[in-house]
Amino acid sequence: MSMARRARGGVLRPARALLDWDYAIFTMIAAVAAIMVSYPAVLVLLRSISTEDIGSPLTFEWLRALVDSSRSREALVNTAIYTAGSSALAMALGVGLAFLSTRTDVPGGRLLGLLAILPILVPPFILVVGWVALADPNAGLINIAASWLMGERTVLVDINTMSGLIWMTGLFLAPYVYLLVAAGFRNCDPSMEEAARVSGASRLRLLRTVILPLQRPALLAALLLVVVMSAGDFIIPSTVGLKARIYMLPSLIWQNSSTFPARPGLAAAQSMLLVVIGLICIFFQRRALQRGGRYTLLGGKGVGITAFPLGRMRYPLATLALLFALCSSLLPVLSVSMMAFMRFWAPYAMTLENLTLRNFRYVLFEYPKVWPSAQNSLLLAVLGATLCVLLAVILAWYFIRMRGRFAGLIEYAMVIPLGIPGIALGVGILSLWILVPGGIYGTLWILLLAYVTAHIPVAIQFVGSALHRIHNDLEDASRICGRSLLGTLRRINLPLMRPALIGCWLLTYVVILREISLVILLYNPSTIVLSVGLMDIWGSGFYPELAVYSLLLLVLGLVPVLLFGRFARFTAD
Amino acid sequence: MVDWQRTVAGDTDASETSSVSVTGLSKAYGPDGALRALDDFTLEFPAGQCTVLLGPSGCGKTTVLRSIAGLITPDSGRITIGATTAFDAASGKYDPPEKRRLGMVFQSYALWPHLSVAENIGYPLAATGMPKAIIRSKVEAMLDWVGLSGMGGRFVHELSGGQQQRVSLGRAVVGNPRAILFDEPLSNLDARLRERMRIELLGLRQRTPFTSIYVTHDQLEAMTLGDKIVVMRAGKIEQVGTPEDVYKRPRTRFAADFMGIPNLIEGSIRAIQPDGFIVDTVLGTLLTRGWRDDWNIGERCTVALRPTLITFSADRQGEAPSGRVIRSVFQGTSTIHMIDVAGTAITLESFSDERHADGATVAVGPINGAVFALLAD
Repeated sequence: MSMARRARGGVLRPARALLDWDYAIFTMIAAVAAIMVSYPAVLVLLRSISTEDIGSPLTFEWLRALVDSSRSREALVNTAIYTAGSSALAMALGVGLAFLSTRTDVPGGRLLGLLAILPILVPPFILVVGWVALADPNAGLINIAASWLMGERTVLVDINTMSGLIWMTGLFLAPYVYLLVAAGFRNCDPSMEEAARVSGASRLRLLRTVILPLQRPALLAALLLVVVMSAGDFIIPSTVGLKARIYMLPSLIWQNSSTFPARPGLAAAQSMLLVVIGLICIFFQRRALQRGGRYTLLGGKGVGITAFPLGRMRYPLATLALLFALCSSLLPVLSVSMMAFMRFWAPYAMTLENLTLRNFRYVLFEYPKVWPSAQNSLLLAVLGATLCVLLAVILAWYFIRMRGRFAGLIEYAMVIPLGIPGIALGVGILSLWILVPGGIYGTLWILLLAYVTAHIPVAIQFVGSALHRIHNDLEDASRICGRSLLGTLRRINLPLMRPALIGCWLLTYVVILREISLVILLYNPSTIVLSVGLMDIWGSGFYPELAVYSLLLLVLGLVPVLLFGRFARFTAD
Repeated sequence: MVDWQRTVAGDTDASETSSVSVTGLSKAYGPDGALRALDDFTLEFPAGQCTVLLGPSGCGKTTVLRSIAGLITPDSGRITIGATTAFDAASGKYDPPEKRRLGMVFQSYALWPHLSVAENIGYPLAATGMPKAIIRSKVEAMLDWVGLSGMGGRFVHELSGGQQQRVSLGRAVVGNPRAILFDEPLSNLDARLRERMRIELLGLRQRTPFTSIYVTHDQLEAMTLGDKIVVMRAGKIEQVGTPEDVYKRPRTRFAADFMGIPNLIEGSIRAIQPDGFIVDTVLGTLLTRGWRDDWNIGERCTVALRPTLITFSADRQGEAPSGRVIRSVFQGTSTIHMIDVAGTAITLESFSDERHADGATVAVGPINGAVFALLAD
């Protein structure tokens, strides 16, 4: 608040000095948070030009190797193709589903909208295992069905190809596009559209001249987000991608840092490339969203907006949309569940005699790593989500209500992790803590730090938008009624923000639980978490156990969502 | 009806209604304080009275109110509530809002949606740590006082706008505050409800006088509610006076314009009399009174003419000034006539059915015994 700011300088003022304490503490926490999110990017850069750990002589060896090494060059090209393809697919699916479900008379539009965002709850690993089960050239269900129909061995679809990778990533990213775009479509101001119609615009002209141009910032923001996410995606390139020998930057970073001979310098250089691309994208994404401010339409309640009649295409389009929506959530979950009950996984194994519960018994009770890693995962997810929400409340208060002197700068810094792929963030965090003797390296705390660093930007967006919704007068009224700042925060702000805080907690919990890329470089055998265990089993190639294991991850993530979801609000608009 | 101060505060606890005094308050915003929201503002708000700060948006009236509440820290000046100094820039004394024991009614009502009506009203009492049983009985009395008996269990969204405003008033009053601040409390209501709430508020204040500081841009609200009206402009006081003073004799062009007088006409002082000044204008000689006494004969001046104090007639006799009707607008109880008198457009309001065609020539003059406002600038 301004009163606190004005107090600095001049005479020491007893009453204000007290207020200054609040301010000082908030500023300090904000400054620490800003350092927390910005040092990994700097260290990645430093590490990529150091021969050994940071502090050793500088060199351009690694940057040169980025282009000199043929494997690295290949990865660059692959990453570019993969990013372009999956971004395009995600945009087409996300925007298409958003438009269909909000602006047309498609039957079951609401259900379609729900199905479109459902995949956010499904760990990407389920998507991977599910699509392997569906589209493996040998044992994939689709190919088995095709062979049976054709009477000879037919490979209709092959997941172990670039297009297979793009397909999975596109499906995985489409819900994020949907979320960013659908709200805009729904909240159109009907009077603007009516004005266009009255001025003589046909429906198509309305779409071309009013509706889509108004969504341009949201579309651009969605595009940049999926570019960052796909370029830095780890899970799909390092599972199916490595199996298909399609090398990409994130999977190479992993290999260069953890397999013999380790070349952490090259890994840092490759990370640096991703960080630079990511930060540029995020910079433009923020700008697009900010400029979107002038497109923000208040008062749009979605009533009376033009619904585009699809005519004869109504049912065909609905079927197609439903199919796509199913491809990214229910279909993989179903095929993974099927796989989980099979004694082994091969084309000729699809028989009733091969059904078994053995995989469940083995994974849940006999596999030694499961329960320790589940404990670690749950502890980290609960602690991480709680810390994220807490920190986000403090930071949002600092940015929005206190408007401290550095608020603008720190607020800007807090989006940095959005532009840094998990694996690169891991490289950055590792580069620092490996140098600190007796530090948190090798403990659970370094994982916690990584989780909080990576997920704080989204938490701030969530909490910030909830705080923005609370009218200043509600707090002022409480102060005048005799409650102090902290009392007001506790009695007025926290209860009013509760649904958003719960929503934020649940989302962070789910995401932390499934996170692999972030911690793949930071864990050690004593701090292994469930999601990393998946990579181990993937390596062993025993799919039915993998299926059980990934279902366990899905269930652990879903339990709190099902329990507390009804108290939560999930939109951070 | 119940007297809230007795039921709410208890007989032992005397009314705490206090005077508020503001001295030399300044507040500037923007780089290098380029925007002066408040410029050396000094005013006494007497105990038990309603002082209305009136002015257009951006005149600084809300800044005064929020400074008194402690929601804004002024750059300089002193604020005293009762016997205690709540803010003094010179000594660095600053009481946060929660220490000032005030009540406030917001334009947005600022009722908390997660609390019931009773919890909203009881909030200031709960903040002092008062036992629940006592809070309950005081809240009951308050609900009764604002006419919402039996509605304590409801939530805010279940109430109408007027009812919400009453809850907001109840919450402001219940803690027996030293003064109650009103920040345009009626401007979110529709016209009819606004009128009813205005009369109700007046009734409540008549039963139990409390110190109120009322901010509005609506001159009708200011007239009905204020014991004293303060017209503000650009962070400074333009005129202070009773509603009658401000209405009949605005001090400046700005005040006259803001009080809804369309006719500001030029003239010159013709004679100085014990009961005012005689001024020569296009409408002939007019008897005027103002707030400035050092006028010289022949000096140029401006007179504000209320449209209701001017009349016209078809038969032109003697040397009465004449004018040409530009147009007449019927608006219900009265009719507005625009008349061109020797190149000056005059607006007059008549309650008779007399009509003249556009372009007709008529005689124009003051009604009998009219005294006009002689402006100081």
